[in-house]
Amino acid sequence: LARTSIQKSYDLTKYLEHQLRSLAGPYLNYLGPPFNDPDFNPPRAGGPETIPSASVDFHLWRNLNDGLRLAENHRAYSLLLCYLRSIDEEVARTELRRSLGRFCTSLQGLVVSIAGVMSSLGYQPPQELVTSSPPTAMGFGRGNDFLRKMEDFWLLKELQIWLWRSAKDFNRLKRKVPSVVAFRVESRGL
Amino acid sequence: QRETHLQYEQMGSDAILRCGSVDQDAAVTWAVNGTDIENPHLNGSFLVLHNVNLSHSGLYSCFQGSSSKLLHQTNLRVGNPPREPVLMCRSNNYPASFYCSWHLPFPTFIPNSFNISVMHDSKQLYCEKDPFPKNRCHIKYSRLFSTQKYQVTVVATNALGKNSTTISFDEFSIVKPDPPENVVAKLVHNNPRRLEVTWQIPSSWPDPDSFPLKFFLRYRPLILDQWQHVELSEGTSHTITDAYAGKEYIIQVAAKDYEIGTWSDWSVAAYATPWTEEPKYITTESQKTETTTRITTTTTTTYVALSSTKDCDPASVRGS
Repeated sequence: LARTSIQKSYDLTKYLEHQLRSLAGPYLNYLGPPFNDPDFNPPRAGGPETIPSASVDFHLWRNLNDGLRLAENHRAYSLLLCYLRSIDEEVARTELRRSLGRFCTSLQGLVVSIAGVMSSLGYQPPQELVTSSPPTAMGFGRGNDFLRKMEDFWLLKELQIWLWRSAKDFNRLKRKVPSVVAFRVESRGL
Repeated sequence: QRETHLQYEQMGSDAILRCGSVDQDAAVTWAVNGTDIENPHLNGSFLVLHNVNLSHSGLYSCFQGSSSKLLHQTNLRVGNPPREPVLMCRSNNYPASFYCSWHLPFPTFIPNSFNISVMHDSKQLYCEKDPFPKNRCHIKYSRLFSTQKYQVTVVATNALGKNSTTISFDEFSIVKPDPPENVVAKLVHNNPRRLEVTWQIPSSWPDPDSFPLKFFLRYRPLILDQWQHVELSEGTSHTITDAYAGKEYIIQVAAKDYEIGTWSDWSVAAYATPWTEEPKYITTESQKTETTTRITTTTTTTYVALSSTKDCDPASVRGS
Protein backbone atom coordinates (compact mmCIF):
# COMPACT_ATOMS: atom_id res chain seq x y z
CA LEU A 1 0.00 0.00 0.00
CA ALA A 2 2.77 2.43 0.97
CA ARG A 3 4.66 1.80 -2.21
CA THR A 4 1.55 2.31 -4.32
CA SER A 5 0.67 5.58 -2.66
CA ILE A 6 4.27 6.78 -3.05
CA GLN A 7 4.15 5.91 -6.74
CA LYS A 8 0.84 7.73 -7.04
CA SER A 9 2.31 10.83 -5.38
CA TYR A 10 5.31 10.59 -7.69
CA ASP A 11 3.07 10.38 -10.73
CA LEU A 12 1.11 13.39 -9.45
CA THR A 13 4.30 15.46 -9.25
CA LYS A 14 5.06 14.56 -12.87
CA TYR A 15 1.54 15.50 -13.92
CA LEU A 16 1.73 18.78 -11.99
CA GLU A 17 5.07 19.53 -13.59
CA HIS A 18 3.48 19.03 -16.98
CA GLN A 19 0.59 21.36 -16.04
CA LEU A 20 2.97 23.94 -14.60
CA ARG A 21 5.03 23.99 -17.76
CA SER A 22 2.01 25.10 -19.78
CA LEU A 23 0.82 27.48 -17.07
CA ALA A 24 4.08 29.28 -16.20
CA GLY A 25 4.73 30.94 -19.55
CA PRO A 26 1.30 32.56 -19.96
CA TYR A 27 1.29 33.60 -16.30
CA LEU A 28 4.73 35.25 -16.48
CA ASN A 29 3.60 37.06 -19.63
CA TYR A 30 0.53 38.16 -17.71
CA LEU A 31 2.86 39.60 -15.04
CA GLY A 32 4.78 41.32 -17.83
CA PRO A 33 8.37 42.62 -17.84
CA PRO A 34 10.81 42.07 -16.20
CA PHE A 35 9.14 38.90 -14.86
CA ASN A 36 8.78 37.25 -18.26
CA ASP A 37 12.41 37.93 -19.20
CA PRO A 38 14.30 34.57 -19.14
CA ASP A 39 17.39 36.32 -17.76
CA PHE A 40 15.50 37.95 -14.90
CA ASN A 41 17.39 36.62 -11.91
CA PRO A 42 16.55 38.60 -8.75
CA PRO A 43 18.24 37.58 -5.47
CA ARG A 44 16.02 35.15 -3.55
CA ALA A 45 17.17 36.64 -0.29
CA GLY A 46 15.03 39.73 -0.94
CA GLY A 47 12.11 37.54 -1.95
CA PRO A 48 9.03 36.76 0.15
CA GLU A 49 9.73 34.61 3.20
CA THR A 50 6.17 33.39 3.06
CA ILE A 51 6.78 31.28 -0.02
CA PRO A 52 8.55 28.11 1.13
CA SER A 53 11.95 27.66 -0.48
CA ALA A 54 12.82 24.21 -1.73
CA SER A 55 16.51 24.98 -1.34
CA VAL A 56 18.07 22.76 1.31
CA ASP A 57 21.51 21.77 2.52
CA PHE A 58 22.61 18.73 0.56
CA HIS A 59 23.63 16.55 3.52
CA LEU A 60 20.63 17.67 5.54
CA TRP A 61 18.29 16.68 2.73
CA ARG A 62 19.99 13.33 2.24
CA ASN A 63 19.74 12.46 5.90
CA LEU A 64 16.15 13.56 6.44
CA ASN A 65 14.06 10.77 7.91
CA ASP A 66 11.03 9.74 5.91
CA GLY A 67 8.51 11.41 8.20
CA LEU A 68 10.29 14.76 8.11
CA ARG A 69 10.87 14.45 4.39
CA LEU A 70 7.18 14.01 3.75
CA ALA A 71 6.12 16.62 6.30
CA GLU A 72 8.28 19.24 4.58
CA ASN A 73 6.62 18.42 1.27
CA HIS A 74 3.16 18.54 2.83
CA ARG A 75 3.76 21.87 4.51
CA ALA A 76 5.27 23.46 1.39
CA TYR A 77 2.45 22.44 -0.93
CA SER A 78 -0.20 23.45 1.59
CA LEU A 79 1.29 26.95 1.74
CA LEU A 80 1.80 27.14 -2.01
CA LEU A 81 -1.80 26.02 -2.54
CA CYS A 82 -3.08 28.68 -0.22
CA TYR A 83 -1.14 31.31 -2.14
CA LEU A 84 -2.24 29.98 -5.50
CA ARG A 85 -5.87 30.25 -4.44
CA SER A 86 -5.32 33.87 -3.58
CA ILE A 87 -3.95 34.52 -7.06
CA ASP A 88 -6.75 32.55 -8.64
CA GLU A 89 -9.28 35.11 -7.47
CA GLU A 90 -7.35 38.14 -8.66
CA VAL A 91 -6.40 37.07 -12.17
CA ALA A 92 -8.48 38.94 -14.69
CA ARG A 93 -7.85 36.70 -17.65
CA THR A 94 -10.44 33.91 -17.72
CA GLU A 95 -8.32 31.29 -19.50
CA LEU A 96 -5.47 31.84 -17.08
CA ARG A 97 -7.84 31.67 -14.14
CA ARG A 98 -9.22 28.38 -15.46
CA SER A 99 -5.70 26.93 -15.78
CA LEU A 100 -4.86 28.11 -12.29
CA GLY A 101 -8.05 26.54 -10.97
CA ARG A 102 -7.19 23.17 -12.58
CA PHE A 103 -3.68 23.39 -11.19
CA CYS A 104 -4.99 24.12 -7.68
CA THR A 105 -7.21 21.04 -7.89
CA SER A 106 -4.28 18.85 -8.88
CA LEU A 107 -2.09 20.38 -6.18
CA GLN A 108 -4.80 19.72 -3.59
CA GLY A 109 -4.70 16.11 -4.78
CA LEU A 110 -0.96 15.98 -4.16
CA VAL A 111 -1.34 17.38 -0.63
CA VAL A 112 -3.91 14.72 0.16
CA SER A 113 -1.75 12.04 -1.48
CA ILE A 114 1.26 12.99 0.62
CA ALA A 115 -0.85 12.80 3.76
CA GLY A 116 -1.90 9.33 2.58
CA VAL A 117 1.72 8.25 2.18
CA MET A 118 2.49 9.48 5.67
CA SER A 119 -0.37 7.51 7.12
CA SER A 120 0.61 4.36 5.21
CA LEU A 121 4.13 4.68 6.61
CA GLY A 122 2.81 5.12 10.12
CA TYR A 123 3.39 8.85 10.46
CA GLN A 124 0.86 11.36 11.70
CA PRO A 125 0.01 13.70 8.79
CA PRO A 126 0.34 17.41 9.70
CA GLN A 127 -2.74 19.44 10.44
CA GLU A 128 -4.47 20.44 7.17
CA LEU A 129 -3.69 24.14 6.64
CA VAL A 130 -6.91 26.13 6.85
CA THR A 131 -6.62 27.45 3.30
CA SER A 132 -9.76 29.49 3.53
CA SER A 133 -8.05 32.09 5.75
CA PRO A 134 -7.28 35.28 3.83
CA PRO A 135 -3.83 35.22 2.19
CA THR A 136 -2.82 38.44 3.87
CA ALA A 137 -3.22 36.63 7.19
CA MET A 138 -0.69 34.18 5.86
CA GLY A 139 1.63 37.03 4.96
CA PHE A 140 0.91 36.96 1.23
CA GLY A 141 -0.23 39.75 -1.04
CA ARG A 142 1.03 42.67 1.02
CA GLY A 143 2.90 45.58 -0.48
CA ASN A 144 2.55 47.29 -3.82
CA ASP A 145 1.76 45.81 -7.18
CA PHE A 146 5.42 45.12 -8.02
CA LEU A 147 5.98 43.27 -4.75
CA ARG A 148 2.87 41.16 -5.30
CA LYS A 149 4.09 40.30 -8.79
CA MET A 150 7.47 39.43 -7.31
CA GLU A 151 5.67 37.03 -4.96
CA ASP A 152 3.91 35.43 -7.91
CA PHE A 153 7.24 35.14 -9.73
CA TRP A 154 8.85 33.34 -6.81
CA LEU A 155 5.77 31.19 -6.36
CA LEU A 156 6.07 29.80 -9.88
CA LYS A 157 9.83 29.30 -9.55
CA GLU A 158 9.59 27.54 -6.20
CA LEU A 159 6.70 25.39 -7.36
CA GLN A 160 8.80 24.04 -10.21
CA ILE A 161 11.72 23.29 -7.94
CA TRP A 162 9.52 21.74 -5.23
CA LEU A 163 8.07 19.38 -7.82
CA TRP A 164 11.58 18.27 -8.78
CA ARG A 165 12.54 17.93 -5.16
CA SER A 166 9.44 15.91 -4.37
CA ALA A 167 10.16 13.58 -7.28
CA LYS A 168 13.58 12.92 -5.80
CA ASP A 169 12.06 12.50 -2.34
CA PHE A 170 9.60 9.92 -3.62
CA ASN A 171 12.36 8.13 -5.55
CA ARG A 172 14.23 7.81 -2.27
CA LEU A 173 11.17 6.61 -0.40
CA LYS A 174 10.27 4.09 -3.10
CA ARG A 175 13.65 2.45 -2.79
CA LYS A 176 13.46 2.32 1.02
CA VAL A 177 9.82 1.48 1.57
CA PRO A 178 9.96 -2.38 1.63
CA SER A 179 12.40 -2.33 4.52
CA VAL A 180 10.68 0.55 6.30
CA VAL A 181 7.23 -1.04 6.35
CA ALA A 182 8.63 -4.35 7.57
CA PHE A 183 10.56 -2.55 10.32
CA ARG A 184 7.48 -0.64 11.43
CA VAL A 185 5.44 -3.85 11.58
CA GLU A 186 8.11 -5.65 13.61
CA SER A 187 8.58 -2.80 16.01
CA ARG A 188 4.87 -2.96 16.86
CA GLY A 189 5.25 -6.66 17.52
CA LEU A 190 2.52 -7.56 14.99
CA GLN B 1 74.82 36.39 -15.56
CA ARG B 2 73.26 39.37 -17.48
CA GLU B 3 69.56 39.75 -16.84
CA THR B 4 67.44 39.24 -19.98
CA HIS B 5 64.58 41.62 -20.52
CA LEU B 6 61.31 39.99 -21.57
CA GLN B 7 59.28 41.97 -24.09
CA TYR B 8 55.87 41.03 -25.51
CA GLU B 9 54.51 42.48 -28.74
CA GLN B 10 51.20 41.92 -30.49
CA MET B 11 51.22 40.29 -33.89
CA GLY B 12 51.07 42.84 -36.71
CA SER B 13 52.36 45.69 -34.60
CA ASP B 14 55.73 47.46 -34.83
CA ALA B 15 58.20 46.53 -32.09
CA ILE B 16 60.91 48.82 -30.78
CA LEU B 17 63.72 47.15 -28.89
CA ARG B 18 65.91 49.30 -26.68
CA CYS B 19 69.53 48.47 -25.97
CA GLY B 20 69.04 48.62 -22.26
CA SER B 21 69.90 52.05 -20.81
CA VAL B 22 72.28 52.96 -23.61
CA ASP B 23 71.73 56.44 -25.08
CA GLN B 24 69.54 56.48 -28.10
CA ASP B 25 72.27 57.91 -30.29
CA ALA B 26 74.93 55.42 -29.19
CA ALA B 27 76.40 53.17 -31.92
CA VAL B 28 75.40 49.56 -31.43
CA THR B 29 75.02 46.38 -33.44
CA TRP B 30 72.16 43.87 -33.07
CA ALA B 31 71.95 40.09 -33.35
CA VAL B 32 69.01 37.69 -33.00
CA ASN B 33 69.52 34.19 -31.66
CA GLY B 34 73.26 34.71 -32.10
CA THR B 35 73.09 35.79 -35.73
CA ASP B 36 73.91 39.35 -36.81
CA ILE B 37 70.93 41.18 -38.25
CA GLU B 38 71.61 42.21 -41.83
CA ASN B 39 70.89 46.00 -42.36
CA PRO B 40 68.59 46.32 -39.40
CA HIS B 41 66.13 49.19 -39.23
CA LEU B 42 67.71 51.26 -36.50
CA ASN B 43 66.47 54.41 -34.86
CA GLY B 44 69.70 55.36 -33.18
CA SER B 45 70.42 52.46 -30.87
CA PHE B 46 66.77 51.27 -31.01
CA LEU B 47 65.98 48.29 -33.21
CA VAL B 48 62.67 48.70 -35.04
CA LEU B 49 60.77 45.63 -36.28
CA HIS B 50 57.74 46.25 -38.49
CA ASN B 51 54.53 44.21 -38.58
CA VAL B 52 55.96 41.54 -36.29
CA ASN B 53 54.90 37.93 -36.52
CA LEU B 54 55.78 34.70 -34.74
CA SER B 55 59.07 34.35 -36.60
CA HIS B 56 60.26 37.57 -34.96
CA SER B 57 60.19 35.92 -31.55
CA GLY B 58 63.71 35.32 -30.26
CA LEU B 59 66.65 36.48 -28.17
CA TYR B 60 67.88 39.88 -29.34
CA SER B 61 71.36 41.03 -28.25
CA CYS B 62 72.98 44.45 -28.74
CA PHE B 63 76.72 45.02 -28.68
CA GLN B 64 78.79 48.16 -28.24
CA GLY B 65 79.83 49.69 -31.56
CA SER B 66 81.15 46.91 -33.72
CA SER B 67 82.81 45.22 -30.79
CA SER B 68 81.64 42.04 -29.22
CA LYS B 69 80.92 43.66 -25.91
CA LEU B 70 77.38 42.58 -25.01
CA LEU B 71 75.36 45.48 -23.64
CA HIS B 72 71.83 44.11 -23.33
CA GLN B 73 69.56 41.19 -24.23
CA THR B 74 65.82 41.15 -24.90
CA ASN B 75 63.71 38.07 -25.20
CA LEU B 76 61.00 39.12 -27.66
CA ARG B 77 57.77 37.13 -27.54
CA VAL B 78 55.21 37.85 -30.28
CA GLY B 79 51.62 36.81 -29.62
CA ASN B 80 48.06 38.00 -29.13
CA PRO B 81 45.86 39.14 -26.26
CA PRO B 82 43.29 36.50 -25.24
CA ARG B 83 39.95 36.43 -26.99
CA GLU B 84 36.75 35.73 -24.99
CA PRO B 85 37.32 32.37 -23.28
CA VAL B 86 34.86 29.57 -23.99
CA LEU B 87 33.34 28.51 -20.66
CA MET B 88 31.21 25.43 -19.97
CA CYS B 89 29.85 23.98 -16.75
CA ARG B 90 28.37 20.53 -16.27
CA SER B 91 27.33 18.11 -13.56
CA ASN B 92 27.96 14.47 -14.39
CA ASN B 93 27.72 13.38 -10.75
CA TYR B 94 24.66 15.30 -9.54
CA PRO B 95 24.00 16.14 -6.78
CA ALA B 96 27.59 15.85 -5.54
CA SER B 97 29.24 18.57 -7.59
CA PHE B 98 29.64 20.26 -10.95
CA TYR B 99 32.71 21.25 -12.86
CA CYS B 100 33.52 24.15 -15.12
CA SER B 101 36.07 24.05 -17.91
CA TRP B 102 37.35 26.76 -20.18
CA HIS B 103 39.63 27.27 -23.14
CA LEU B 104 40.63 30.03 -25.49
CA PRO B 105 39.09 29.84 -28.93
CA PHE B 106 42.36 30.98 -30.55
CA PRO B 107 45.98 30.45 -29.45
CA THR B 108 47.80 33.48 -28.06
CA PHE B 109 51.31 32.00 -28.43
CA ILE B 110 52.28 33.51 -25.07
CA PRO B 111 51.55 32.33 -21.53
CA ASN B 112 48.04 32.98 -20.22
CA SER B 113 46.59 32.80 -16.72
CA PHE B 114 42.96 32.13 -15.85
CA ASN B 115 40.92 33.21 -12.87
CA ILE B 116 37.50 31.71 -12.22
CA SER B 117 34.84 32.87 -9.78
CA VAL B 118 31.55 31.16 -8.96
CA MET B 119 28.66 33.04 -7.34
CA HIS B 120 25.43 31.56 -6.04
CA ASP B 121 22.78 33.22 -3.89
CA SER B 122 25.11 36.20 -3.34
CA LYS B 123 27.84 33.91 -2.02
CA GLN B 124 31.17 33.09 -3.65
CA LEU B 125 31.81 29.37 -3.93
CA TYR B 126 35.21 27.73 -3.94
CA CYS B 127 36.23 26.16 -7.23
CA GLU B 128 38.81 23.46 -6.61
CA LYS B 129 41.21 23.33 -9.54
CA ASP B 130 41.89 19.92 -11.05
CA PRO B 131 45.56 18.96 -11.34
CA PHE B 132 44.64 17.71 -14.78
CA PRO B 133 43.26 18.95 -17.03
CA LYS B 134 44.48 22.31 -15.79
CA ASN B 135 41.66 24.34 -17.26
CA ARG B 136 39.02 22.74 -15.09
CA CYS B 137 37.75 23.08 -11.54
CA HIS B 138 35.08 21.49 -9.37
CA ILE B 139 32.41 23.07 -7.18
CA LYS B 140 30.50 21.13 -4.55
CA TYR B 141 26.75 21.60 -4.38
CA SER B 142 26.29 22.84 -0.85
CA ARG B 143 22.59 23.39 -1.34
CA LEU B 144 20.15 21.56 -3.57
CA PHE B 145 16.88 22.55 -5.19
CA SER B 146 17.74 26.20 -5.39
CA THR B 147 15.80 28.70 -7.45
CA GLN B 148 18.90 30.86 -7.66
CA LYS B 149 21.03 30.77 -10.76
CA TYR B 150 24.74 30.07 -10.58
CA GLN B 151 26.96 32.72 -12.14
CA VAL B 152 30.45 31.72 -13.27
CA THR B 153 33.05 34.12 -14.64
CA VAL B 154 36.44 33.23 -16.09
CA VAL B 155 39.03 35.91 -16.80
CA ALA B 156 41.91 35.14 -19.17
CA THR B 157 44.95 37.38 -18.82
CA ASN B 158 48.31 37.58 -20.57
CA ALA B 159 50.97 40.24 -21.11
CA LEU B 160 49.06 41.73 -24.04
CA GLY B 161 45.60 41.98 -22.52
CA LYS B 162 42.68 40.41 -20.71
CA ASN B 163 39.24 39.07 -21.61
CA SER B 164 36.42 37.39 -19.70
CA THR B 165 33.27 35.34 -20.11
CA THR B 166 30.34 35.02 -17.71
CA ILE B 167 27.60 32.40 -17.87
CA SER B 168 24.63 31.88 -15.59
CA PHE B 169 22.57 28.74 -15.28
CA ASP B 170 20.08 26.91 -13.12
CA GLU B 171 21.25 24.07 -10.90
CA PHE B 172 19.41 21.52 -13.04
CA SER B 173 20.14 22.64 -16.56
CA ILE B 174 23.78 21.54 -16.43
CA VAL B 175 23.05 18.00 -15.23
CA LYS B 176 24.32 15.63 -17.88
CA PRO B 177 25.35 12.10 -16.83
CA ASP B 178 28.28 10.25 -18.36
CA PRO B 179 27.32 7.58 -20.90
CA PRO B 180 26.25 4.14 -19.61
CA GLU B 181 29.13 1.68 -19.21
CA ASN B 182 29.85 -1.92 -20.20
CA VAL B 183 27.24 -2.11 -22.93
CA VAL B 184 27.02 -5.78 -24.01
CA ALA B 185 24.86 -7.28 -26.74
CA LYS B 186 24.31 -11.03 -27.10
CA LEU B 187 22.41 -13.24 -29.48
CA VAL B 188 19.47 -15.29 -28.22
CA HIS B 189 19.78 -18.99 -29.15
CA ASN B 190 17.14 -20.35 -31.45
CA ASN B 191 15.84 -16.85 -32.07
CA PRO B 192 17.10 -15.21 -35.26
CA ARG B 193 15.39 -11.87 -34.57
CA ARG B 194 16.46 -11.17 -31.00
CA LEU B 195 19.41 -9.52 -29.33
CA GLU B 196 19.82 -9.08 -25.60
CA VAL B 197 21.46 -5.80 -24.55
CA THR B 198 22.71 -5.04 -21.03
CA TRP B 199 24.59 -2.03 -19.62
CA GLN B 200 25.57 -0.38 -16.36
CA ILE B 201 24.80 2.96 -14.75
CA PRO B 202 27.81 5.30 -15.24
CA SER B 203 30.10 4.81 -12.27
CA SER B 204 30.34 8.59 -11.85
CA TRP B 205 26.62 8.82 -10.96
CA PRO B 206 26.62 8.80 -7.16
CA ASP B 207 23.01 8.20 -6.02
CA PRO B 208 20.90 6.30 -8.54
CA ASP B 209 18.33 5.54 -5.85
CA SER B 210 17.32 9.15 -5.29
CA PHE B 211 18.31 10.30 -8.73
CA PRO B 212 17.34 7.40 -10.97
CA LEU B 213 18.40 7.41 -14.59
CA LYS B 214 16.34 6.56 -17.60
CA PHE B 215 17.93 5.27 -20.79
CA PHE B 216 17.69 5.66 -24.53
CA LEU B 217 18.80 2.81 -26.72
CA ARG B 218 19.53 3.07 -30.45
CA TYR B 219 20.39 0.20 -32.78
CA ARG B 220 20.71 -0.51 -36.47
CA PRO B 221 22.19 -3.13 -38.76
CA LEU B 222 25.61 -2.02 -39.99
CA ILE B 223 24.35 -2.18 -43.54
CA LEU B 224 21.73 0.53 -42.90
CA ASP B 225 22.03 4.15 -41.80
CA GLN B 226 18.63 4.52 -40.16
CA TRP B 227 18.69 4.07 -36.36
CA GLN B 228 15.84 2.57 -34.38
CA HIS B 229 15.26 4.01 -30.94
CA VAL B 230 13.62 2.88 -27.72
CA GLU B 231 13.32 4.79 -24.40
CA LEU B 232 13.49 2.75 -21.22
CA SER B 233 12.43 4.09 -17.86
CA GLU B 234 13.35 1.07 -15.74
CA GLY B 235 16.25 -1.33 -15.55
CA THR B 236 19.52 -1.71 -17.41
CA SER B 237 18.69 -4.32 -20.03
CA HIS B 238 16.53 -4.66 -23.10
CA THR B 239 15.73 -7.32 -25.65
CA ILE B 240 15.61 -6.24 -29.28
CA THR B 241 12.93 -8.37 -30.92
CA ASP B 242 12.86 -7.03 -34.46
CA ALA B 243 16.43 -7.58 -35.58
CA TYR B 244 17.09 -8.60 -39.19
CA ALA B 245 18.20 -12.20 -39.20
CA GLY B 246 21.90 -12.70 -39.78
CA LYS B 247 22.79 -9.01 -39.95
CA GLU B 248 25.44 -7.53 -37.64
CA TYR B 249 24.07 -4.80 -35.41
CA ILE B 250 25.59 -1.73 -33.74
CA ILE B 251 23.96 -0.77 -30.43
CA GLN B 252 24.47 2.33 -28.22
CA VAL B 253 22.83 3.61 -25.03
CA ALA B 254 22.43 7.10 -23.50
CA ALA B 255 21.31 8.11 -20.01
CA LYS B 256 19.42 11.00 -18.41
CA ASP B 257 18.20 11.93 -14.96
CA TYR B 258 14.50 11.22 -14.68
CA GLU B 259 13.44 14.80 -14.13
CA ILE B 260 16.23 17.19 -14.88
CA GLY B 261 19.08 18.00 -17.19
CA THR B 262 20.01 16.58 -20.60
CA TRP B 263 20.88 13.27 -22.17
CA SER B 264 24.41 11.90 -21.89
CA ASP B 265 26.52 11.30 -24.96
CA TRP B 266 26.05 7.91 -26.60
CA SER B 267 27.89 5.03 -25.01
CA VAL B 268 30.69 3.09 -26.60
CA ALA B 269 29.09 0.92 -29.28
CA ALA B 270 28.39 -2.79 -28.82
CA TYR B 271 28.15 -5.16 -31.82
CA ALA B 272 26.27 -8.42 -32.20
CA THR B 273 24.69 -10.60 -34.86
CA PRO B 274 21.44 -12.42 -34.13
CA TRP B 275 21.50 -16.21 -33.89
CA THR B 276 21.38 -18.03 -37.25
CA GLU B 277 20.65 -21.71 -37.76
CA GLU B 278 23.76 -23.89 -38.33
CA PRO B 279 23.78 -25.13 -41.95
CA LYS B 280 22.81 -28.92 -42.04
CA TYR B 281 25.11 -31.53 -43.90
CA ILE B 282 22.98 -33.27 -46.71
CA THR B 283 24.49 -36.19 -48.77
CA THR B 284 22.18 -37.16 -51.71
CA GLU B 285 22.11 -40.73 -53.41
CA SER B 286 22.56 -39.42 -56.97
CA GLN B 287 25.69 -37.54 -56.02
CA LYS B 288 27.11 -40.71 -54.39
CA THR B 289 26.83 -42.83 -57.62
CA GLU B 290 28.21 -39.98 -59.72
CA THR B 291 31.14 -39.73 -57.41
CA THR B 292 32.10 -43.44 -57.58
CA THR B 293 32.56 -43.29 -61.34
CA ARG B 294 35.40 -40.92 -60.73
CA ILE B 295 38.83 -42.22 -59.98
CA THR B 296 38.82 -40.58 -56.54
CA THR B 297 36.49 -42.12 -53.98
CA THR B 298 35.75 -39.01 -51.92
CA THR B 299 32.09 -38.42 -51.09
CA THR B 300 30.73 -35.13 -52.44
CA THR B 301 28.60 -33.31 -50.02
CA THR B 302 26.07 -30.65 -50.84
CA TYR B 303 25.24 -28.03 -48.35
CA VAL B 304 21.56 -27.48 -48.36
CA ALA B 305 20.27 -24.99 -45.85
CA LEU B 306 17.03 -26.44 -44.75
CA SER B 307 14.44 -23.85 -43.86
CA SER B 308 13.85 -24.42 -40.22
CA THR B 309 10.13 -24.16 -40.42
CA LYS B 310 9.49 -27.16 -42.78
CA ASP B 311 9.90 -30.74 -41.62
CA CYS B 312 12.66 -32.50 -43.48
CA ASP B 313 10.84 -34.53 -46.30
CA PRO B 314 13.33 -36.96 -47.97
CA ALA B 315 11.44 -36.74 -51.30
CA SER B 316 11.81 -32.96 -51.44
CA VAL B 317 15.50 -33.27 -50.65
CA ARG B 318 16.21 -35.81 -53.46
CA GLY B 319 14.47 -33.61 -55.91
CA SER B 320 11.92 -34.84 -58.53
